[in-house]
Amino acid sequence: MPVVDIDPDELRQLTGTERDDDRLKDDLFGLGLEYEGETEDGDLQFEFAPDRLDRLSVEGVARSLRYHYGEDRGTYVPPTNDADWTIEVEDSVPDERPYVTGAVVRGIDLDEKGLDSLIQLQEKLHATMGRKRAKGAIGIHDLTMLKGESVSEEGGPSIRYTGVDPDGPRFVPLDSDAELTPAEVLEEHPTGREYADLVSEYERYPAIYDELGLFSFPPVINGRRTEVSTDSRELFVELTGTDQWTIDKMCAIVCYALSARGATIEEVEVEYPDRTLLRPDFEIREKRVSHERIEGMLGMEFDPETVIDCFERAGLSATQVLGEETAYDVEVPPYRVDVLHPVDLIDDVGRAYGFDGLIPKYPEVSTVGARHERTRLEDAARNVLVGLGFEDTLNFHLINEAENYERLRVTPGEGVLGAGDPATIREPYSEDYTMVRTWALPSLVMVLENNTHRSYPQNLAEVGFAAELDDSTETGVRERRTVAGVLARTDASYEDAKGVLQALARNFEVDLETPPTEHPTFIDGRAASVVIDGQPAGVVGEIHPEVLVEHDLELPVAAFEFRLDTLE
Amino acid sequence: MRLAPTQAAVLEAASATEDRTIERLAEELGEKPETVTGAVFALEEEGLLDVSEEEIEGVSLTEEGETYVEMGLPERRLYETALELDADEEPVSMGEVIGRSGLEGSEVDIALSNYARKGYGEIDSGELSATAGREEDEEADALALIAAEEPVTDESVLDDLTRRDLVARRESTVRSVTVTEEGVTALMEGIEESETVGQITPELLTTGEWEAVEFAEYNVEADAAEVVGGKKHVLRQTADRVKDVLVGMGFEEMDGPHVDSEFWINDALFMPQDHPARTHWDQFALEKPEEMDNLPEDLLDRVRSAHLEGVGEDGEGYHSPWTEEVARGMDLRGHTTSLSMRYLSGEAVGDLEPPQRYFSVEKVYRNDTLDPTHLLEFFQIEGWVMAEDLSVRDLKGTFTEFYERFGITDLQFKPHYNPYTEPSFELFGHHPETGELIEIGNSGMFRPEVLEPLGVECDVMAWGLALERLAMLITGAEDIRDLHGTLADIEFLRNAEVIY
Repeated sequence: MPVVDIDPDELRQLTGTERDDDRLKDDLFGLGLEYEGETEDGDLQFEFAPDRLDRLSVEGVARSLRYHYGEDRGTYVPPTNDADWTIEVEDSVPDERPYVTGAVVRGIDLDEKGLDSLIQLQEKLHATMGRKRAKGAIGIHDLTMLKGESVSEEGGPSIRYTGVDPDGPRFVPLDSDAELTPAEVLEEHPTGREYADLVSEYERYPAIYDELGLFSFPPVINGRRTEVSTDSRELFVELTGTDQWTIDKMCAIVCYALSARGATIEEVEVEYPDRTLLRPDFEIREKRVSHERIEGMLGMEFDPETVIDCFERAGLSATQVLGEETAYDVEVPPYRVDVLHPVDLIDDVGRAYGFDGLIPKYPEVSTVGARHERTRLEDAARNVLVGLGFEDTLNFHLINEAENYERLRVTPGEGVLGAGDPATIREPYSEDYTMVRTWALPSLVMVLENNTHRSYPQNLAEVGFAAELDDSTETGVRERRTVAGVLARTDASYEDAKGVLQALARNFEVDLETPPTEHPTFIDGRAASVVIDGQPAGVVGEIHPEVLVEHDLELPVAAFEFRLDTLE
Repeated sequence: MRLAPTQAAVLEAASATEDRTIERLAEELGEKPETVTGAVFALEEEGLLDVSEEEIEGVSLTEEGETYVEMGLPERRLYETALELDADEEPVSMGEVIGRSGLEGSEVDIALSNYARKGYGEIDSGELSATAGREEDEEADALALIAAEEPVTDESVLDDLTRRDLVARRESTVRSVTVTEEGVTALMEGIEESETVGQITPELLTTGEWEAVEFAEYNVEADAAEVVGGKKHVLRQTADRVKDVLVGMGFEEMDGPHVDSEFWINDALFMPQDHPARTHWDQFALEKPEEMDNLPEDLLDRVRSAHLEGVGEDGEGYHSPWTEEVARGMDLRGHTTSLSMRYLSGEAVGDLEPPQRYFSVEKVYRNDTLDPTHLLEFFQIEGWVMAEDLSVRDLKGTFTEFYERFGITDLQFKPHYNPYTEPSFELFGHHPETGELIEIGNSGMFRPEVLEPLGVECDVMAWGLALERLAMLITGAEDIRDLHGTLADIEFLRNAEVIY
């Protein structure tokens, strides 16, 4: 979940409140921001769910608090000045990253804290909506360092979003003194190496030019020439990405934050070859919410004034629509990226009203409860085994090939129990867990291996899950429940395991036969097929000394495993 | 008079004129003291013996004390070494004495601090002198006496040794007996030994001989040999408990695949395909099987449309790419909500008409790092209620009821965000023992973008919670790996408290 670092004094100043830290923490908890601790610099850290990305910086958190305190009400859109600058989009822009947007910001006065906050917002937006810059990346530049090219007859300055040869233009990236090509940045610059994967497959790399040359290599790094400092008074914000809506919303969130610090937002024209957009996109979306639905979802009656008050305290303007049924037209500001459906606005009403105020009630509908037959059967088998003295174990379903096959002397595909083809994990992290177990006996033998220091006898059982590939099923995997047991003690023998099977067979009133078989995990001549009601169901026998020694066991182990469903 | 043989022997061995201790009687009779004690109390009850008790203080050597009996006291060893180096004539370097003495670690400090105290000599600026002719050491002598179980009379030496932790003092009760007048009379009239029997035999019962015998008394307080039986796994017991509660609340149990398509696991849940939780960093994507090619076509179209266009007049979709290829990919389920999707869609057991309540307590898989509170596989409790017109109040009422069954009576609902529910709430409660506020579940009302494609036209509220979390809460277990998996400690399972 995202975490935002907040200087409490800045928060008080931007919110216009005198409330102390503890009070602020309580109020923010009510808004869904949970206090996590302090940074080394004394900033307060809050964690929140990734829906309200407008709260990724102190400015947005302050805005939410102002609404919460009733200092502000209703939907707000910052004023914008008419466009002077243009972003020209060239045909050479890489197909993989075709979209760009931006804004000009004037009259900003950032101190160190303000600049940190802006950088934090940028990085957190990258991490969330920007999908680690893959979907959207923000570049912020000192406007006074840009020299616009003049493209239009009216003579407004412009910059160009274009595609360049990776080994072509040279520029000095941030945190560097060397002139590097984009390809060199990806190899030599730490930030370049970090984000190289995003563009390395592109034929042409994205780049933004002014008259003086390349000043931004999105989504990787900006040029040093236009670096923003506390002395910067005018900014150029540009965003590139794989989705216009996403970068427009990220842009809007950045503009709202800067506007809250007193900056003036100025529009920018984005000229694609086939269309022109005016950005930032501060368009207000309108959604209609029915009064009945609000009452139904929150489970209580409201008068329309209360509903409208709640909307306004949530930062939304609402007008009541009179008709056959009461409804509201709600204006959703551009930074509210989480609102997809009227139900999201009902949630806002609930939060503003206070969900704590909704008294719990048990739903007045009656249904009949029941266990699933499969789990009842599992439990019955487990209970019988426990009655026979087995310790019931619960093992991981994930295992690796060595444990599942080799250490039990089984060769995959050889047609014995356990030799089935496994469902395998793609790019596993851990070499211990690379596949789903095809049988449960290896898990039990591992438990014995890990407990050689504990007292014997150790009689362990598991009624559990195993799976193997099978094209004839819906998912391509045959999942089954399996009954497995091991008896480890100084005089354990085949007969002990067979005795348990006989007891199980008796309890479940099934017919048990144990014709001799060969299975590599067991000693030849001391292994049998478990045949239940005429169907082959598993195997029983004395475990092969090689398997015992492999698992550091110094005493005989008798074991069995068979399909649970044969007991039905 | 008839008495059991031990009782008869004890009565005869006791005297009417002299106190005799139980230890002494036991020694004389060749019986265990506890056997004699049993007989003495029985005889006292009969009025044949008087028993008197005396509290006696005894001393015994500590482990350290025993070591010094064998090796000599550290200060004594230092002194003897010092004499070997003629420190009684001229001071020698302390380092040299210590090195030669073989004293190590804390023994050095002990030796030095007692050396001067006992007047063995002086220690000054790193040099050590010795006073000649100190052959005796009271403390060493006392230790030797205690080791030989001989009495030590000098209390001050004992105090010193106690302070040095070389001896431990303990209180014990010594019981002595004398024969009462009644006992004397009985002895004079003659005691007949009754036959005692250790074990009931079929013969005793069938012949009726059991009426004439006395049963040997057991020490019923003594520990018996350990019995190790089998037991249902503690997590299974917790699951049973949860299932009981839910069935009692009218919930029916679901069942379904562990290996499933992304479609059922994520897409049906309205998780955008570029959601961070859908990367292989969080979920287990499978190499084999590769894909599921029999997804229900109509449902697939409706889900795609919900992702791209949203649902309803004022609905919007995600601005994220959506491809069928991703939806067909295979995973180990990261939550059992895939089962809820299969049931709600009608795929599992046919179309469902409201009202319905369903649950499962089944395994889910997350690509996490194993640590004391995280496993790659764990059990998720999943439940949902489907009905016309459910509200947040119904949700709060249902979960309040559920958690109260586990002693959590102050359930708190913190507004939250999930891609698949709105409103959503994280559930918090105070740990019944530690009082700590902990997250114990996640809940909400399924979004229209989830329900409409599934063809559900009423409300559905749902919640999820890790069973292990509940189990740790109930059992107080601190490392989840003790509970679950092949690293399980059999001893832990054998000793785990039962859950009911």
